[in-house]
Amino acid sequence: MFTRHVSRQLAAHIDGELAQPRARQVELHAAQCAQCRAEREQVRFGMEILDRLPPVEAPDAIWVSIEAALREQRSRKTFETWAVRRWRWAFAATAVCVLLGAAHWSVAHRSATRWDVVRIDGSPTVIRAGKWIETDSASSATVKIGNIGSVEVAPNTRLRVVTARPGEHRLALARGEIRAKISAPPRLFFVETVSGTAVDLGCEYTLNTDEAGFGLLQVTRGWVSFQWQGIESLVPAGASCRIRPNVGPGIPYFDDASENMKQALENFGSEKAGDVALNVILAEARVRDTLTLWHLLSRVEAEDRARVYDRIASLTPVPAGVSRREALKLDAETLRRLKEELAWTW
Amino acid sequence: MVYDLYKDRVYSIALYFFHGDPAAASDVTQQIFLKLMTSMGQFRGDAEFSTWLYRLVVNACLDAARRRKSDAVVSDRSCLEAFAAPGSQEDDYSRAQMASSVRAAVSALPPKFRMAVLLRYFEDLSYEQMAKALHCSMGTVASRLSRGHRMLAERLKGLIQG
Repeated sequence: MFTRHVSRQLAAHIDGELAQPRARQVELHAAQCAQCRAEREQVRFGMEILDRLPPVEAPDAIWVSIEAALREQRSRKTFETWAVRRWRWAFAATAVCVLLGAAHWSVAHRSATRWDVVRIDGSPTVIRAGKWIETDSASSATVKIGNIGSVEVAPNTRLRVVTARPGEHRLALARGEIRAKISAPPRLFFVETVSGTAVDLGCEYTLNTDEAGFGLLQVTRGWVSFQWQGIESLVPAGASCRIRPNVGPGIPYFDDASENMKQALENFGSEKAGDVALNVILAEARVRDTLTLWHLLSRVEAEDRARVYDRIASLTPVPAGVSRREALKLDAETLRRLKEELAWTW
Repeated sequence: MVYDLYKDRVYSIALYFFHGDPAAASDVTQQIFLKLMTSMGQFRGDAEFSTWLYRLVVNACLDAARRRKSDAVVSDRSCLEAFAAPGSQEDDYSRAQMASSVRAAVSALPPKFRMAVLLRYFEDLSYEQMAKALHCSMGTVASRLSRGHRMLAERLKGLIQG
């Protein structure tokens, strides 16, 4: 049987990065397809030819510049500390103890955990945990999150800084919209909403919500996990997920999914599995929509789970070691292995 | 020391990414290590260090390329030829010429393919690590590597056959 071309997977196949069922599928296809065989040779040739690319030694001047920059940073910090101490002493002389405490707090928080708010029309302000940031219809803001990224705050938005420390940066979005751009190890940046918490897995995304908790998460780069009371939706780049209060995150879907499918997903939360919405989702699903189907497995009633699983299996090979029986029992390890294989197409 | 361990690989990636421009590569390398040293406290150890480092590399290179706004233009060939590499000192002229052609071909790849190819070649990262560094799925990594290597083969086929 002639299967789809395997151009996209050739490098992974050569590098031994494909799991066995898919690797076998690529081999079988290449055996029958002259075009993919030729492309495989091209990829292999491209890889071999890179051996002619020598690594280059970094010039010593770079380290000299780094040392100089570090010295400058240290001396700036020292100067700031010195200046603040003098200021504190002057206050002590006038016995304004409350303000002294505030100055001490200010020194303690001049670190990588500081959050700077830059209003479009104003000067940067350092904010601390517990503070609210609010924009009206004519204003917006950018919040620099320590050294790990930034958050753009759209007009008519209200959010609060919950935690600002090296191991955890946490915001609470009461209403409005933010666009987060984070470059840090996963699970350092969190945004809480009425409907659950967005957990950064290294990404860029937009999150909006109204005061009741209805909103949308749209991911443009990397991954975001949206969690509520043990229910999790994993949303990759190019996909979105509705958020609703008291029911957990919606089923994620790719933005280029069919309109029928998106509409069916809108209706799905309010209807029982096995209804018209599920039929539409199953019928309209493409290979990459296994993102949606994989999430559905654990959200539908038991009697509909087999239909969802069988639709996944009809769209893409199920990896070795994933048994239908275990998947239908929602065995965590089985679902994880299935997800890892399906994610190749997401 | 982290700098000694990674400096050549980071610099090499930046150099090949920026068409052999040593000034751009030095700037970006400096930026990356400064950021690394000042934000080491952010690293919690639940992701691999190299994944985190190469995410910084990818972001710094792509940001700098956007600032330069000239990335789509294939570089000045003289710049590519000029940077000192061990290959250029080979007695075998044809090998040196080949190295130069490979550098030019890599340099002509679109940025996202170029970065994927460079990460695989210089770091031998797994596809999962590359996906994290590049902010994309493993499927996208595989696709970019397949296309990137095929583009290289296309560009260099004539030269080798000739």
